[in-house]
Amino acid sequence: MATRKSQLLLGLGLVLALTGCGSASNNQTGSTQENGGQSGSSAPASSAPASVSQVASTAADASAQDPVELTFYYPVNVGGPLTKVVDGMAASFMKGHPEIKVNAVYTGNYGDNTVKIQAGVMSKQPPDVAVMMSTELYSMLDLDAIVPLDDFIAKDEAEFNKDDLYPAFVEDTAANGHTYSVPFQRSTIILYYNKDMFKAAGLDPEKPPTNWGELVDYAKKLNRDGHAGLEIPGNDDSYWMFQMLARQHASDPKQSIMGDDGKKAIFNTPENVEALQFWIDLSKKDKAMPEGIIDWAATPTDFIEGKTAMMMHTSGNLTNVKNNAKFDFGVAFSPADKQYGSPTGGGNLYIFKDTSAEKQAAAWEFVKYMTAPEQAALFSSSSGYIGVRKSAYDTDVMKAYTASFPQALVARDQLPYAFRELSTHNHGKVSSALTNQIQAALSGKTDAASALKTAQEEADKQLAAFNK
Amino acid sequence: MMGKEPGPTLSINPGLRRISRERAHGRTIAALFTALGKASGYTLMLAFVGAWLIPLVWVIGNAFLSKAMFSGSGGSWTFTLSNFERVWKAAPFGIYYGNTLLVTAAIFAVQLVTLTLAAYAFARIPFVGRQAVFMLFLVQIMVPPDVLIFSNYRTINALGLLDTKLGIMLPYFATSFGIFLLRQAFKQFPYELEEAARMEGSSTPGILLRIYVPLTRPIYLSFAIVSISYHWNDFLWPLIVTDSPDNRMLTVGLAMFAKSSEAGVQWTDVSTAVLIVAAPLLIGFLLFQRQFIGSFIHSGLKG
Repeated sequence: MATRKSQLLLGLGLVLALTGCGSASNNQTGSTQENGGQSGSSAPASSAPASVSQVASTAADASAQDPVELTFYYPVNVGGPLTKVVDGMAASFMKGHPEIKVNAVYTGNYGDNTVKIQAGVMSKQPPDVAVMMSTELYSMLDLDAIVPLDDFIAKDEAEFNKDDLYPAFVEDTAANGHTYSVPFQRSTIILYYNKDMFKAAGLDPEKPPTNWGELVDYAKKLNRDGHAGLEIPGNDDSYWMFQMLARQHASDPKQSIMGDDGKKAIFNTPENVEALQFWIDLSKKDKAMPEGIIDWAATPTDFIEGKTAMMMHTSGNLTNVKNNAKFDFGVAFSPADKQYGSPTGGGNLYIFKDTSAEKQAAAWEFVKYMTAPEQAALFSSSSGYIGVRKSAYDTDVMKAYTASFPQALVARDQLPYAFRELSTHNHGKVSSALTNQIQAALSGKTDAASALKTAQEEADKQLAAFNK
Repeated sequence: MMGKEPGPTLSINPGLRRISRERAHGRTIAALFTALGKASGYTLMLAFVGAWLIPLVWVIGNAFLSKAMFSGSGGSWTFTLSNFERVWKAAPFGIYYGNTLLVTAAIFAVQLVTLTLAAYAFARIPFVGRQAVFMLFLVQIMVPPDVLIFSNYRTINALGLLDTKLGIMLPYFATSFGIFLLRQAFKQFPYELEEAARMEGSSTPGILLRIYVPLTRPIYLSFAIVSISYHWNDFLWPLIVTDSPDNRMLTVGLAMFAKSSEAGVQWTDVSTAVLIVAAPLLIGFLLFQRQFIGSFIHSGLKG
């Protein structure tokens, strides 16, 4: 009897262990909650020494010429040893600025990075400077976490030369008439195509589709020999792809799915419904694309492995495709309907509040350095992101890179048609309202019209608090 | 069914014949069921083995075989270590190994102490509000850990432990899951056992060490698997409380390859990094699995 009981217990333990790996940890973190409560009373006492030492160290900075220490958070989203490149850039900055010490901290991907920054901001321990999604702008303003950069930019007008930055990337650095960030790792959506498969299907490999009609036509022809004609990923941040189709299909050259002040969502318009319908039809009607929701991360792998002849994806993938594709591939603007168009994506550099003016000034020096033409060129050529400055393309590094790999110029050339990514207050909830409905429509659970209607209602609800 | 049954032909009387026929019938069916049971048992087992093995084989293949094979565009099956070389160089994996070992071992060591004492208190020592406090512990099992990241971060910050290994470990020193598991086990023991030991003059720590702990070894072992594998694989919390490479864990090295949300997944690199991170746990389990399973069976007979 006892045996059976202990076996039962063991079984229960194992079941819990298997099903509840997550919950096993929950309670562990959970128990700290209590610890936190208990230590809450002693917290002021124990934090006092820290702040004293902080004061002491800043005093020392001033007197003994110790370097100003900066903490710099950066995420990596393209895989591989890009951390080395960023750390190297920070190191070369310190060589030129011995009075500043930069601690470059790798922070996972964009999502992890944002969590880490938010935790820091809420605990009054923010980084001094960080790379963060351009779309986090309003969330950071709502947290009162970042400083406007207007004074810095004005002070170093000649050196910084704001006009040299591509305007499409500058769009999402501004809110309420202030500039809050500087573009750093940026991308647009481009069309990748397999030239070998174009040939096999009797298409001219030097003539990628330029409009929606051709796109559908080519994709149908390319849907053969066991591979798909086209893949447009529909999970994760599918609002990004939707923004692209919506702009391309719009009659208004300035069409946008959001208001300028981050307080309004404009999802449910007749043209947007048609754009979403076009996306659905690519699979359901035209049979040129696999049905259902295509996975974001698997799409480039499918392209590299020859499972699809074309894909729409971020230009941030160029290096990956270049290094791994065993065939000749081309890239092109994402085809136009009424106009060309692609949202920009990626991260900007932000400077944080709750630090000394001295640190903020040092952080600005660092931001300036990281986005200077030579650094922009170095970062672009090693990552595949677009150089954020026009003059970056005049540097020798960039000339050599684009000469050996002309595909890298396409994303840059598309910039006149590029516009800012969806970014609103309460960004997470608003964007997932749209993303969830797009996915429901792509998987056939709802139709385009009611999907956008629901998304609009949900987004309006999430934004109501900001429109009072 | 009955009619087709080739019953025994030799008949003594009809009644007996029917009985023997039914018996034979029963036997055949039983045999059939045993065979079926065995067959389906094996099939099921093989299916589980396959489900367990396929991803592992795929990962190993990706990591050690040259790229051409797995990208499906033909090519050779050449064995290579170049993936390891490249991935190993991308992050200070040596330091990360040391940190992960230290953090995982230290958390588990402290947990053993807190867990045993708390479980004993909840199981055997009557105190005011015992049920209420225990319920609170149980509630904690249901709170997702990510929800607590911000509050834990604040606590660790207030204690001045940001970017330290102790900061990673502290929130996990007490484990309500482990306490729950062990308390249930302790409660199973006949109280007479403890009384007898007390009569013999054993102290409470002595009773704990000589009776409770040895008899619940399988519980400790199953908890060890949960705790060690969880902390070995934990990513977000260690990433968030630490800044410097000196305090970071293996999973951060893995993340450099596996978290490329902007570009696609580069399976070769991801597989290689996965192997680097998971190999010690895998090898450890394979080496000690006899002991693991042996201990479970052993205690089952004894308890």
